Amino acid sequence: MDGQETGTGRIEGTSATWNNGALIRLRQITRTYKEGALEVLALRGVDLDIAEGEFTALAGPSGSGKTTLLNIIGVLDKPTAGRVEVAGTDITRLDKGEAADFRLDQVGFIFQAYNLVPVLTALENAEFTLLLRGVPTAQRRATVTPLLERVGLADMMDRKPHELSGGQQQRVAVVRALATSPALILADEPTANLDSETSGGLLDLMLELNQELKTTFLFSTHDPAVIERARRVVRLLDGRVDGSSRSAGS
Amino acid sequence: MLWRMAWRNLWRHRTRTLIMTSAVAFSYGLCLFSMGIGDDGHQQMLDQAVEGAGGDVLVHADGYWDSKSGDLVIQEGGAIVSAVQEVPGVDAAIPRMIINGLVSSASGTRPLLLQGIDTDREPALRDFAEDVDYGAYLTSSDRDDPLILGVVIVEKLDLELGDRVVLTATQPDGEITRALFHLTGIIETGFQEVDEMVGLTTLEAAQNAVAAGGMLTQVGVVMDEGLVSDTVAARIRSALGSRGGDLEVLTWQEAVPDMVGFIEVDDAFLYIYLVVIFAIVAFAIANTFLMAVMERVREFGLLNALGLRGRGVAGVLLTETFLMTALAMAIGFILGYAGHLAASHWGIPLSMYGVEDMELSGVDFASLVMRSKIIPLKWVGASVLVALVTLGSALYPAWRASRFEPAEAMRFYE
Repeated sequence: MDGQETGTGRIEGTSATWNNGALIRLRQITRTYKEGALEVLALRGVDLDIAEGEFTALAGPSGSGKTTLLNIIGVLDKPTAGRVEVAGTDITRLDKGEAADFRLDQVGFIFQAYNLVPVLTALENAEFTLLLRGVPTAQRRATVTPLLERVGLADMMDRKPHELSGGQQQRVAVVRALATSPALILADEPTANLDSETSGGLLDLMLELNQELKTTFLFSTHDPAVIERARRVVRLLDGRVDGSSRSAGS
Repeated sequence: MLWRMAWRNLWRHRTRTLIMTSAVAFSYGLCLFSMGIGDDGHQQMLDQAVEGAGGDVLVHADGYWDSKSGDLVIQEGGAIVSAVQEVPGVDAAIPRMIINGLVSSASGTRPLLLQGIDTDREPALRDFAEDVDYGAYLTSSDRDDPLILGVVIVEKLDLELGDRVVLTATQPDGEITRALFHLTGIIETGFQEVDEMVGLTTLEAAQNAVAAGGMLTQVGVVMDEGLVSDTVAARIRSALGSRGGDLEVLTWQEAVPDMVGFIEVDDAFLYIYLVVIFAIVAFAIANTFLMAVMERVREFGLLNALGLRGRGVAGVLLTETFLMTALAMAIGFILGYAGHLAASHWGIPLSMYGVEDMELSGVDFASLVMRSKIIPLKWVGASVLVALVTLGSALYPAWRASRFEPAEAMRFYE
């Protein structure tokens, strides 16, 4: 990977600011968990900007705060302190219902595991977020079917998750994440449970979609092979940004 | 798709769902069946109690019902019967002369409750002719002093058809009198109280026996179907006007409060029994759903993460409960209705369950054959209640499911 490590605690991303196109803007984010009498500092003052259309990996060892940071950006969790703006919204001020609506409208998720609703078929899982938006059946099918074909699941649309391999399940999750054309797709270690070949295929797919649809991808990983494919890598260590780098041409 | 998802979720744990569905279905079916049997039994008891009392509404000389005193009579019997018959809602006004006395034969003396009845009007309430087992009914006898006695009195007095007996009773004016009757018929009702105590004769013969021509002891009222006895009693009081001053007008409920109390207590026990059953079912469902919620924390977290609001997540669980309830109630209704049809067809004799020699307000429980009766409003009410209890039992689990923080829920098993 080409690029430069800044090694600073504050990363300005592509030098984008809120006013000139940053999709995500984090300022002094801290997150503390209480485990009994013990306080665990998961994030310690993270500053980060992500511009629209970026393909960014959050890299770092287990416990470095990758998932916590993704959860905060995806409004699945709230920071203990700091400010988070995503697509122009201060998401720390959203109540639970508004947060759910925000996720539905703005964010696509790909989780490490247990991505799909077990009782729904691949097609139904893929169109689930469209259903939540109230999109009519015909329109849902028209949106999702080409995407499923595109990711090579044309013959598996009627299969339930337990009838799909791990890689196929992740591809369904990618289609579901893309179906609503969100501003941002967050993926928490999407390749962690996949073999290297499947993992590479999934990454290729995400990269293609990023380039083609200009969708912003932010994903966490500690897999060197995945990190190598990212256009931008933000390294986390002990809840702090430990550096950032970009591949050539990004 | 949410309905489809809920339906499929139900069958993820087939055995568990079948057990829960069966519990609700059997409880609901049992509830309907019990109500059907209970309502029919109560109706039979009420009908018999009304027959035993003498009508839906009773008119006597004031104070008669409590004292049963022979001097308390309705003086202008014919006029009162006519006035009552004209009251709206009165189907029949039945005149009676009731005499408390002693009946004697060569073999002994027994107490007797002799009812002088109008054979044309009495069948509007009860047809004693059907109960005559030996001899002839009052209308078939050409004698002017016919007497029908219960089989037990006949045996104790060692009588045969055609034998003469002497009635000793008090006239309305207080004089003791004796009158001769001929035994023309014997009835065997199975009611100990009737077979041992009751005698029947014509109204005229009874009036003649105690020198009470034109007088009556009781006017029994049979009202039109669907009316409330209180309403009809009030109309009769109003119609009698000034003549009502010396009369008492009682509803059958006032006349036989024991039976009314018994039915109320029996109903209360049935409701308590059903409440206990449904409380158990509700807790079982709540517990099972709560368990299901804890098993599916991550799934609910996923749904919430994808943008389904908390109330939507609760809605998924409640939809599952609704579907299970609908299925269980459909099965329960079939079971309950099948039970109703079976009980209506074959009947359940109370004597089969060890009920012997139990009488209350003229009702012989041992002779009752319980069938089933549907009171649509009660079935609908019970069904709504069962649905609410079952759905209500899932409210807390659904609320729990709606409260999960998605980030915590998603790492629940990590």
